This record gives sequence, structure tokens and C-alpha cells, in this order.
Amino acid sequence: MYEFTKKTICEGVSFGNIKDDRFKRSRINATLVVPLDKKTAAANALLSCVLTRSCKKYPDFTSLNRKLDELYGASLYASFNRFGDFQTVTIGMSGLDDKYSLDGRSVSSEITELLCSILFEPNITNGRFLEDDFEQEKRQLLENIDAEFNDKGVYARNRCIETMCRDELFSIGRFGSREDVSGLTQENIYKAWKNLLDNARVELCMLGSTPYENALEGFKKYFDGSPRKITGSTRVMSEVGEVRRIVETEEIVQSKLVMGFRCAYPKTLRDRIANSLMTVILGGTPTSKLFQNVREKQSLCYYCSSRADNNKGIMLIESGVETDNIERTEEAVMEQINAFVHGNVTDEELSSAKKALKNMYISTLDNLGAMHGWYISGLLSSFLASPTEEADIVDDITKDEVVELAKKIKLDTVFSLIGN
Amino acid sequence: MGFQIIENERLGEKYYRMKHSSGLVIDVFPKEGYNSTYAIIGTNFGSVNSHFISNGKEIKVPDGTAHYLEHKLFESEEGDAFSRYAKTGAMANAYTSFEKTCYLFSCTENFRESLEILLDLIQSPYFTPETVAKEQGIIGQEIKMYDDSADWRVMMNLYQAMYHNNPISIDIAGDVQSIAEITPEILYECYNAYYNLNNMVLAISGNVSPYEVEEIADSKLKNSSLLDTKSLFPDEPYEVKEKYVEQRLSVAVPMFCLGFKERASAEIPSIKELVCTDILLEAFTGEGSELYRELLDKKLINSTFGADYLAGKGYRAVMFEGETRSPSEAAEAICEGVRKLKKTGISREDFEIAKRAVYGRAVSAFDSLSTTANMLVDAEFAGKTLFDHVEIIANVTFEEVSERLKDQLDPDNISLSVIKGIDD
Repeated sequence: MYEFTKKTICEGVSFGNIKDDRFKRSRINATLVVPLDKKTAAANALLSCVLTRSCKKYPDFTSLNRKLDELYGASLYASFNRFGDFQTVTIGMSGLDDKYSLDGRSVSSEITELLCSILFEPNITNGRFLEDDFEQEKRQLLENIDAEFNDKGVYARNRCIETMCRDELFSIGRFGSREDVSGLTQENIYKAWKNLLDNARVELCMLGSTPYENALEGFKKYFDGSPRKITGSTRVMSEVGEVRRIVETEEIVQSKLVMGFRCAYPKTLRDRIANSLMTVILGGTPTSKLFQNVREKQSLCYYCSSRADNNKGIMLIESGVETDNIERTEEAVMEQINAFVHGNVTDEELSSAKKALKNMYISTLDNLGAMHGWYISGLLSSFLASPTEEADIVDDITKDEVVELAKKIKLDTVFSLIGN
Repeated sequence: MGFQIIENERLGEKYYRMKHSSGLVIDVFPKEGYNSTYAIIGTNFGSVNSHFISNGKEIKVPDGTAHYLEHKLFESEEGDAFSRYAKTGAMANAYTSFEKTCYLFSCTENFRESLEILLDLIQSPYFTPETVAKEQGIIGQEIKMYDDSADWRVMMNLYQAMYHNNPISIDIAGDVQSIAEITPEILYECYNAYYNLNNMVLAISGNVSPYEVEEIADSKLKNSSLLDTKSLFPDEPYEVKEKYVEQRLSVAVPMFCLGFKERASAEIPSIKELVCTDILLEAFTGEGSELYRELLDKKLINSTFGADYLAGKGYRAVMFEGETRSPSEAAEAICEGVRKLKKTGISREDFEIAKRAVYGRAVSAFDSLSTTANMLVDAEFAGKTLFDHVEIIANVTFEEVSERLKDQLDPDNISLSVIKGIDD
């Protein structure tokens, strides 16, 4: 059906290929990974935005975007994220598969070339990017950061994590702080560019029907073969002190409750899957404990869901409720966790959660973007298995295993955003 | 009656279509090599259908009824559909829009059982005072969540500013007061009027055989009587109701939504009209356009900026929206761009480039099972086949797109909706 191949260009730089001829689009991505660092996180984030604005070959925003349109609406994207206590910066492109072009040109080879230009031949003169690109992207990044406050669900989630992980690198977040971005100079992002290309771990990945050999050769030219050693590790806190409570008020109609927990930091693939299964039973589906009890039985909310971050060992439970019901909702959530810890999981709950989780895993195979995410996450966590292999493991997990993992859940921080 | 096969050579795709003896239109789009299956059943009944004549009786229902009915249809006398889906592993959901209500699932195993649940669900209404009352709190919270959403409010406020009478200006979920008036009787009246298989479409894409679907449909579907429901819509003047509307919410970056109201017939636009508008908007405000560049240079937009075409029965408008520090300046710059465009038209070169971008996106849409199935439902309600769209893009001419501009973007018939921060 599809084939995954991994080639090493040099130590720390690899090239993955997912060969799959079912799709009408192809993708190619470069993911650069460095330890989260307060001094560089903002510069890395802004750099990724500036890089996608122009390059030597298409030296301004308009000419680059006209080129993308001409390539049948190819898309060029940048994203920055955290993965445990690491920061990832992804620059990627997607475009129409060659067989659908109206004039017989090879979109896939053109987007690969273009991605190389974007990454390695940016619009730099004397150590400075185009002034306009730098200023425009800085302004937009600052607006995007401010806009995270516009969405109260996102804002409340960020505030909970920030508070809970205040002494960990994780709290630096995807882009550092607004102040960090605001203070960035041309010099900072030039250094970030040099540093990422010379020192970051690099995961290149190409997905689609086109043979990968040309792209691999193309990328090899840009790496001189010197090895990269990425240091750093993710700090995991498994103990908690007294629950920290933060309450903020805003002019909003619906209050938000975000409960931050420490949970297992799984060391085997099986435990990772079991931990995901545990959160699905708790609050991942319409038949989960939280949905059934907090929403359906008590009509307290429209949503109440749980999600675990296996790469950090934390879990969040989020809900939107009436201000008067915040305490009741928190109690109702804790009741469900307690029941879980005491082994109160029915065979039906276990089996329906297993089916739901397997469905999520296998569905990944039908979406190029999701496949890319799956493999990058597997490579970065060093637990690489196909969705089908992981689905097979789900079947094998026992009730005792998920109950043991539920026992590791400890409430750390409660963030409430209250309407005035 | 059997399936008719509808093929497209350009895409190398085909689907199977039939009008089932029960009255239901069934479309099956097998995708070779896919692991999952996506199924959706939609009724041509959305929030705008709040006033109608059914079997000779004129009925007006409270705002938010279609959406409320969607929530309640998940329950039957035997229990709720979610717990049945839990046994098959399918991921199930539903949504109500202005024009339609859809129920869907996606699965990687137990397709037959999941489809049976879906077909049962839409054929076994069960509404009691108790079950209806239970939903008040849940939907109340859903409504409040949207009340805080700047993205949603900026759009709804624009519809309210543009339209005097058309029900597009009423929130899909209604409000806390209107949903309090909903009773089991009202839900049954809507159900009987619109959940008639002759008014519905089942579309399935992915790992699926049309013949298995036919067999399940044969065993599950009860024949519907002929549809005797007519939706009533008020007359709508050409002119916008208000030029400017503003709301204050807890936001750090203001938002704007600028609408150019158009003349709209009772019919939805043709695919040709939609395609021409898409290309026109891509050429006019896409990221490669002169105007986009100008708005960026003046710091009036950021990457959230985009254009959209609102088009349905009795309403049509081109909208531009995004976050901005200066809503009025952004709107003025766009209007200036429109006046210029009306004078000069788009260039041939811009047309060619925009056409390619629109074509590439339309072809790519077939990669997604959910998009494919949702497009099938829309195509059926519009009385078209799914592939018309791509073919029309491939063959559309510069002259056709230029001609379209004449009926669109009247700079003297606009509304501007703005969301500002509490202290701005």
C-alpha cells in the first residue's frame, strides 16, 4: 500500500520517504529540532515566518506567491511547536501530483527545488534579510500571539500549562514570549538561520507518488556531512505539591476550566499506547466517562475532554461552564478519575475506547498530512511504528494496565477563566 | 433501479448514484487503497427553514429548532446512538448549517453495523418532555461558547447588518430564550416536514462497495411518502440594512468582516457562477495579488485575511475578513481596490494564474474522504454531479470571469462588521 524508507544523510540529518500513489497531492517537509531555549525560541519562530516570504530566486512576497499559484496553488507553510522540551521548526510545501497538471510539468520536482531555495538560499544581503520581510513578519507574528487571547479556550489552555510547568523549559512555549519576539533584531534571526542549518537535528520527509532519489540527491548537496549532536532532554515531574489555583476574570459569557495533571511519561511503545487509551476512556469520546457523566448526566457543559502529552508526561482536562458550576464540574471530573483509579472500568468502556483509538490510528493512513505528523512524531520520540502496528498493540492492552496508568494522574494546577 | 456510474477521466475517479425505492438518493464513491470509510446523510433542512407549509399547515418554529432537533435525534426509544456506535468503533458526529442538517460517521471496521445505526438514527425520532428538557443546559453552553467567539460573532453581526428579513441573519443555534420554547411537538413537526427520504441524500466515500450499501439500504429504509413541504422565505430588499455594526468582546486584536451584498434569486448560484467568483476573488485578493500586497504594506491585514462567497437561497455576498489593528482603514482600502477593479477588470495574466490555483485546490479536494462525501451532498441538493465543478474550472474563459464581475462587488452596497476589544 505505502512504503516508508529512511536514509541517513549524515549523523543528525535524515531523509524519510512515504511512497504512496493514492493521492492527488504530494508533500515535502523539513523539520529542524533544537532544545527549547529562552534565548533562541522566539528567533527560530520568526525565522520560519521570514523564510517563507521570499528567496533569492523569487525575491519578494508577491513574486513568490504568484509562482505558487502558477504551480496549481502549491502551498508553502511554516510552523513551530514544542515536542517535550524541544522546539521544532517545520518548513514545508505541498502541490498537485504530476499526473494532474494541465500542461504536463512536474510540480513535485519544482516544489522540491523551491523548498531548497527557501531553506538554503534566502534573500540575505550582508547578513540581513529583506528589511520589509523582517518587519512585516514580526508584526504579523506579534498579532498572531495577541490573537491567541481572542480564543479563550486556547488562552486558558496556554495559561494552565505556563503555570504548571513554570520551572521547566516546556513553559517557554512555541515562540518564547511576546517580549522576546518584540525585541528581536535582524542579527538574531540571521544567527538562528545559521544555527538551525548547522546544528539542528534535521528530519526531511517526502510524501507522495514521485520517486524520492532526485530529492534526496538535491538535499545532500546542502549538508557537508559533519555530524550533529543534539543535547538536552525533557524534564519530567512525577510528583506534585499542593494544587496551584489560578483564577482570572474577563468579559466573557462562558467560563473556562482547565485542569492540569502530571501523568505517566511512558518509556515503552506499549505504555505510550496504553496511556493514550487511558485518556480515551476518561474523556476522548462521546461514551467516555467525562462526556457521559459531566455532560450527559449532569448537563454541566457542552464539552469536557481530556488529552495527554506523552512526550512531556502531562494531561489536560478542559471544559466550558457556567461560573456557578465551576466547582461542581471540578468535583465531577475528580469523581470520574477516582472511580477509574479504583478499577471502576467496565469491559464495555475498555472495548469501545480500544475501537475508537484503533479507528483514529488507522484513519491516519488516509491523509498525507496526518501521515507526515505520525512519522515525524515517531522519529522524534524514537518510538517508530506504523499505525497498523500500533493498532495491533491496542488490542492487547489490559484493564489492569490502564488502571495502573490512571493511578499516576495527579492534579497539579487548576486554571479558571471567569466571566464578569 | 440500480446504480448509474458517473465517471471523470481527468481525475480518474468515479462514483455510483441511485434513487432508492424509499425515495433516498444514494451516492457511493469508492476510493481504492483507502482504509477508512466516511458516510454522511443530510437533509435539505437548516436553520433558515424556520417557516414552512407542510401538508397544508403553515408552521413557524422557534430560532434554533433545526439544530436542537439534530441533538435530539441521537436519542431513540432504545437509547442513544453514541452508545451503539461505541460498539462498532466508528467516530460519529452531526452538524447543522444554515441550509442543511447532516449526520455522519467514519470507520475502519464494522461498516455495515455503523451504517445500520446511521439509517436507524434518522428514521426513529423519539422526543419526550424529559429528553428535550435535558438538552437545554448542554445547548445553552454551546450557544454561550459561540457568544464568546470573535470569529463567529463578527460573521453573524455582518449577516444581521446586511439582511433585513432573510433568516441567514439568525444564529443557527438560536438563543437561550428561543430554545426554551422548543417542545417535543415542534420537533416532531419539523421532523415530519423535512426528514422525508425524498428530501435527503446519503453519500459514502472510501473503502466501500456500492452493492453492500444497496443491500443495507434495502433492509433498513422505510418508504417515504411524497414530500409535501414548502419552505417560506420573506422578501429581501437589495440594499443592506446597516452600513456599520460593532461589538466589543474580550479580544486583543480587533477583527473585521466586510460584506458586498448582491442581488439574489431564490435559487442557489450555478456552478459556473461559483467558479467565476472563486477565480475573480483569487485574482483580486489572493496572496499573489496587488491588493494583498498593498494591504500588507499598509499593515492593515495579517495571514488571517481571506475572501469568501456567501451564497444560498435568497442571499449572496462577497466577504473579506481578518484581524486588523485598523478595521475602517482596511475596509476603505478594499473598497478602493474594488472601485479600481470595476474600472479596469482583471488582467488576462492574473486570470490564468488564479485559474490554475483554483483548479489545483479543486482537484486536491478529492484526497479527503470527508470533503468528497460532503461535496456529494451539496452537489445533490444543487441538482448537479460532483465532477461538474472541476470541468467548469478547466474550461472557464477570461471573458466569462470578466462578465461575472459586473454583477458583483457593488461598493455602494456594503456592510462592515467590527469586533473591538473591551477597552479599545
